[in-house]
Amino acid sequence: MFNFKHEWIETNVGLLLVLVMLAISIGGLVEIAPLFLIKNTVEKVDGVRPYTPLELRGRDIYQREGCYLCHSQMIRPFRDEALRYGHYSLAAESEYDHPFQWGSKRTGPDLARVGKKYSNEWQVAHLTSPRSMVPESVMPNFPWLEKNELNISDIKERMEALRKVGVPYSLTKSEYQANVKQFGAATAEMLSIPDARKNLIAQAESGNYDGDPSRITEMDALVAYLQVLGTMVDFSKYDDDAFVKYR
Amino acid sequence: MDMKWLSWFASYENTKPLALVILFVTFVLIVLYVYGSKKRGERLETYKYMPFMDDESESKEDKK
Amino acid sequence: MAVTALSSTEQYNFDIVKKFSIMTMVWGVIAMTAGVYIASELAWPFLNFDIPYITFGRLRPVHTTSAIFGFGGSALFATSYYIVQRTCQSRLFSDGMASFTFWGWQAIVVLADISYMLGHTQSREYAEMEWPIDILIEIVWVTYLAVFVGTIMRRKQPHIYVANWFFLSFILATALLHTFNNLAVPVSLFSMKSYSLFSGVQDAMTEWWYGHNAVGFFLTAAFLGMMYYFVPKQAGRPIYSYRLSIVHFWALSFLYMWVGAHHLHWTALPDWTSTLAATFSIMLLLPSWGGMINGIMTLSGAWDKLRTDPIMRFLIVALSFYGMATFEGPLLALKDVNALSHYTDWTVGHVHSGTLGWVSMITFGSMYHMIPKLWDTKIWSQKLVGIHFWFASIGVLLYITAMWISGILQGLMWRAFDQYGNLQYSFVESVAAMHPFYAMRAIGGMFFLTGMVMMFVNVAMTIRQARGEAAELEAKMSAKMVKSGMAGA
Repeated sequence: MFNFKHEWIETNVGLLLVLVMLAISIGGLVEIAPLFLIKNTVEKVDGVRPYTPLELRGRDIYQREGCYLCHSQMIRPFRDEALRYGHYSLAAESEYDHPFQWGSKRTGPDLARVGKKYSNEWQVAHLTSPRSMVPESVMPNFPWLEKNELNISDIKERMEALRKVGVPYSLTKSEYQANVKQFGAATAEMLSIPDARKNLIAQAESGNYDGDPSRITEMDALVAYLQVLGTMVDFSKYDDDAFVKYR
Repeated sequence: MDMKWLSWFASYENTKPLALVILFVTFVLIVLYVYGSKKRGERLETYKYMPFMDDESESKEDKK
Repeated sequence: MAVTALSSTEQYNFDIVKKFSIMTMVWGVIAMTAGVYIASELAWPFLNFDIPYITFGRLRPVHTTSAIFGFGGSALFATSYYIVQRTCQSRLFSDGMASFTFWGWQAIVVLADISYMLGHTQSREYAEMEWPIDILIEIVWVTYLAVFVGTIMRRKQPHIYVANWFFLSFILATALLHTFNNLAVPVSLFSMKSYSLFSGVQDAMTEWWYGHNAVGFFLTAAFLGMMYYFVPKQAGRPIYSYRLSIVHFWALSFLYMWVGAHHLHWTALPDWTSTLAATFSIMLLLPSWGGMINGIMTLSGAWDKLRTDPIMRFLIVALSFYGMATFEGPLLALKDVNALSHYTDWTVGHVHSGTLGWVSMITFGSMYHMIPKLWDTKIWSQKLVGIHFWFASIGVLLYITAMWISGILQGLMWRAFDQYGNLQYSFVESVAAMHPFYAMRAIGGMFFLTGMVMMFVNVAMTIRQARGEAAELEAKMSAKMVKSGMAGA
């Protein structure tokens, strides 16, 4: 019989390295590669769109403050979660999320569908001083969000970076046209990189998220982001088990 | 020759059980190799003294 | 005698091991202080003081990075450089490159911590460092691989000892994980901000493939390497079964990479992936326990050492916690258990029975064994080692008990229904119910930190004592020389 000796591996660092590399590569390959190849991984639903420039900046701040460490954005398909948070999350709902914000811990509640559940005023008051709204809360105060002017100097660069990783923000006319076809004219307008600055200011001023129309603050951006979470898909258009087959 | 049977491997549903079988067989082979022969086992066990090989210089140090 | 000591320092590069050992102590104190502080912030939120730099969200990555990469990383560099030299009986491949890994690695952890406090984060758990720091990690890591493999290639032994297999596996896997999990496009060359290459479900899978294997290779395989050297050395007897180490090494290296998706049960990740991960998680119990059995049984026939030797106690308790945590892991990976435990403090408790119980305890034991040897002296206070052991043990037990109770309570409160089929508790009622356990956890952490500070003092005094001894020896020698010189004249 083929006379294998484990000593060959133990006395040959090159062979050891190759075999270890082989052993540790298989698992990742088998589990991750198909996620990119199988079409069913991300279902097709209407309504999911990339973030507007203002929402995007809000999302950046959400990351900066480490919100993901205490709040998940991933509702599981259980009865209690359906009652507490709403329809379970779909893969499509985070397909433009670079990086994902599913989270791993609920020190606070899930935020996947927090959009429009509370008024802008409530959100501002709660972010500034959570215990003024919810006495038992252990969330930190974020008073600086209201004070800090939002930095929008590099909004175009940010969108261009996201365009490079596959988010359909448009630079050219033809990309813009494609967005009109996919998302409708109003949304396509918001995804245009050349108009990003203008669009951001316009949304902040008309939305007046932080209650202070005179300036655009980090609070404007963060509240705009929170208010869009989970609101893109209209679930009343779908059957109850329309998405089960994607699981 | 009919080569249709090859398509069985290309089907996604079949690759997972196949991989599991291959890997399980590998595992069994490793276990058989390691524990299968008493003589081989004794030989392998002799390598466990490696951490003590440079003790000579150390015990000299300790003695001082 | 002075001659042999000299030759030993000539034969091996102990200088680099000493540097990393000292930084292990420093990062241990920093990381655990940060941990106690953020635990206290959850119990008493006024501690956030409305200062952006120290709010929970920014300080938590400071805790995890200082603990995993500062404390754990420095301990691994120190022990792996020590073990590879002593088991190959050859000096490190390159002193310059080894020195680069030291300064590079310390710079990485310092820069990462500062950047989190300033708000720069990729928001990927345990990989929060932004892209410039990621590139630095890549460079340092490749250098580490080169030093390690280069040293093995210069070995005087024909065989590569099993501890070094685990270190190699850990270095390779970490390189692989770090590279793929941090693929991102920076906003500009002068911006810290980047956006990850992947999105949504694929991004989540990549991150948790990384996240779990940071545990599997950084915090497990590598520390098993530490175990395979220091447990036999401290026990004065070889490892229980060399054959078992062969089987469990290959099984562990292979199986770990499959289980990351158990962090994503019931999410938008396709079912087949998480089911596969759950299956492999259960299989992983076998190689994990293989390692534990191999370590603990090494002591068989010499159990009395547990009574007399506090270092041995650290090592064996570490292995027991390892066994417990690797039993709890597969349990939490079962989809039905996970439905209750996910998103709760149970996970946090599980992680800490691994990091405090296993990683820290095995590090403490190994360092107490190695540090006196490095400085060629005895530990300053053996008694303090014993006291440290009790503080650490009480700390871990308080911590994980608190998290078990709070985690299960949270999970049950979230899914409780009243008689009319409505949710019985609002979310914030579950938050309020956590308060006593968050306080208890913070107290457990304080115990553990106190032990760490004791160790810091003990090590500092040991080094001082070694310097004193060396100076005394030198004075004696020169006095002798003067004498003999005078006699000659």
